[in-house]
Amino acid sequence: MSSTARRLRVIVVDDEAPARALLREYLGRRAGVEIAAECANGFEAVKAVTELHPDMLLLDIQMPKLDGFEVLELIEKEIPVIFITAYEEHALRAFEVHAVDYLLKPFTEQRLGEALERAAGRVGAAKKGSVPLEDLAMAARPEGAGRYLERVLVRDGSAVHVIPTARIDYIEAQDDYICVKAEGKGRIKKQTLARLEGALDPARFVRIHRGYILNVERLANIELYAKDSRVAILTDGTRLPVSRAGHARLKELLS
Amino acid sequence: MHPILRRRGRLGPYLAAWIPVAGLLSILLALAGEADWDEVLLIAVPMTVLFGFESLATWYLCLAAPLRTTAMRRLLAVHGSGAAVSCILWLLAGRAWVSLLERSSWFEGATRRYAAQVPLLFAVGVLLFLLASAVHYVLIAFEESREAERRALETEVLAREAELKALKGQINPHFLFNSLNSIAALAGSEPGAARAMCVDLADLFRKILKLGSAEKIPLSQELALADSLLAVEKVRFGERLAVVRRLDEGCADCLVPPLLLQPLVENAVTHGIAHLVEGGAVTIETRRRDGRLQIVIENPVDPDRAGGGHEGVGLDNVRRRLAAIYGAEGRLAARREGGIFRVEVALPVSGGPA
Repeated sequence: MSSTARRLRVIVVDDEAPARALLREYLGRRAGVEIAAECANGFEAVKAVTELHPDMLLLDIQMPKLDGFEVLELIEKEIPVIFITAYEEHALRAFEVHAVDYLLKPFTEQRLGEALERAAGRVGAAKKGSVPLEDLAMAARPEGAGRYLERVLVRDGSAVHVIPTARIDYIEAQDDYICVKAEGKGRIKKQTLARLEGALDPARFVRIHRGYILNVERLANIELYAKDSRVAILTDGTRLPVSRAGHARLKELLS
Repeated sequence: MHPILRRRGRLGPYLAAWIPVAGLLSILLALAGEADWDEVLLIAVPMTVLFGFESLATWYLCLAAPLRTTAMRRLLAVHGSGAAVSCILWLLAGRAWVSLLERSSWFEGATRRYAAQVPLLFAVGVLLFLLASAVHYVLIAFEESREAERRALETEVLAREAELKALKGQINPHFLFNSLNSIAALAGSEPGAARAMCVDLADLFRKILKLGSAEKIPLSQELALADSLLAVEKVRFGERLAVVRRLDEGCADCLVPPLLLQPLVENAVTHGIAHLVEGGAVTIETRRRDGRLQIVIENPVDPDRAGGGHEGVGLDNVRRRLAAIYGAEGRLAARREGGIFRVEVALPVSGGPA
């Protein structure tokens, strides 16, 4: 143990340079806080968190490529987060993903101090009640009725792949993981098929089998394989099993 | 319905107001006739109460013959005949009451004594009736002025609301909050830049307030407003935001509805540039062609984002305004082509050299 208390290492994420400068100034005056990295977008944030293992995240929500919620979804580990945004309307979602605090821009140095103290209490606290990743994924969905996932995010080490749902061919279940097939590539993500199914637009994606969700736009043909057993043939020639219930769902959607 | 009958609890005080009248009437009857006080009170009090009710009817006469629009002759006729009819009814009721009283030996000869007082009672009745009419006219005038006041207030509130709504529609709160945050940031490290941004922001709001109420303004002013907006955004986005202007000189004086471009430019930044890591350029282009003014605003969008990257509401508002002002002559077309979002506004040229 060193004689001084360990410094709190934070990562600052905001796409606007002045906003980062403000945080740098405020944090610079606080003893025991160290900025491990400054990130200007969500990709950088995911990479920085993966590589630097900070104690805490100061996270903007509206950012290019990945928004704050998507960053959290991809980090896949519990880390205290303080959201900093000009948007009041995301507060509810922020607390659904167990944010420590939610600062509205502009904010005072004192307000930031309070948030940091609250967050410091959580650092190193028992990892109880860590947010199930599935919930994060659900919370990352846009708000409002009739809005479905527009893209699926997959992390590969510190790199992030954004797959727009329109480009997905099909999704295959593999134990606790799913494999998202798009444009000839498959990307693995820790999520269950059922969870993802619930977040996808049902007018486009159909659970054709216990282990498969199909983008119906890729469907070329359905062939009877044996009694009560069919295969879906995709536009690129891929063959996927279709269960009886899956066939009923497909028929209902296509009729 | 009469305002006194409209609410419970008003009738009591109203009838109480008639007590002095009953007193006066009793004194009058006692002095003018031979009846003793018992008889006078027994006649005057119920008859006054009855009159109190009867005079409520003048409200309807007053409503039927409004003071301002009715000729004097008609006014006299209405209230004169009203007074006569109601007094006759009143006296008949009084008579019926007196003959009832006479059944008791105490009041022998009461009918005769009453008959002798009829002319006096009639005169008093007519006077009271006309007085009641006058009071009702005052009451009506009072109600009318209060109603007029309320309506004026309501109109004012509605006008203010419309103004506020217009303002709210023009100023995106997030834009304001983010800008204030930038000022807070600059205040520490670059006080000069913070001051400059305050001036930019004030400049922008002043323009919005001033131009927003005009019907049409020259395009040059609308472009200056867009420049103010972009100056503020430039502080937030820095290198990520570039602006390209391709402005046709001949368009500067063309008249356009105020705050037409502002929402389009703001869209280009918030839904276009803000979602790009590297940012990009907002292009503003104006030109005149075949008697029409064309304004084109382009911005790059994130190819991974679905939709046009633009919320429809802002565009719809502009489209509706154009339709309201120019009909089929005013058009807005928006489309996404590759990584570029393009909004094109066309409207008939008015103002400036032909």
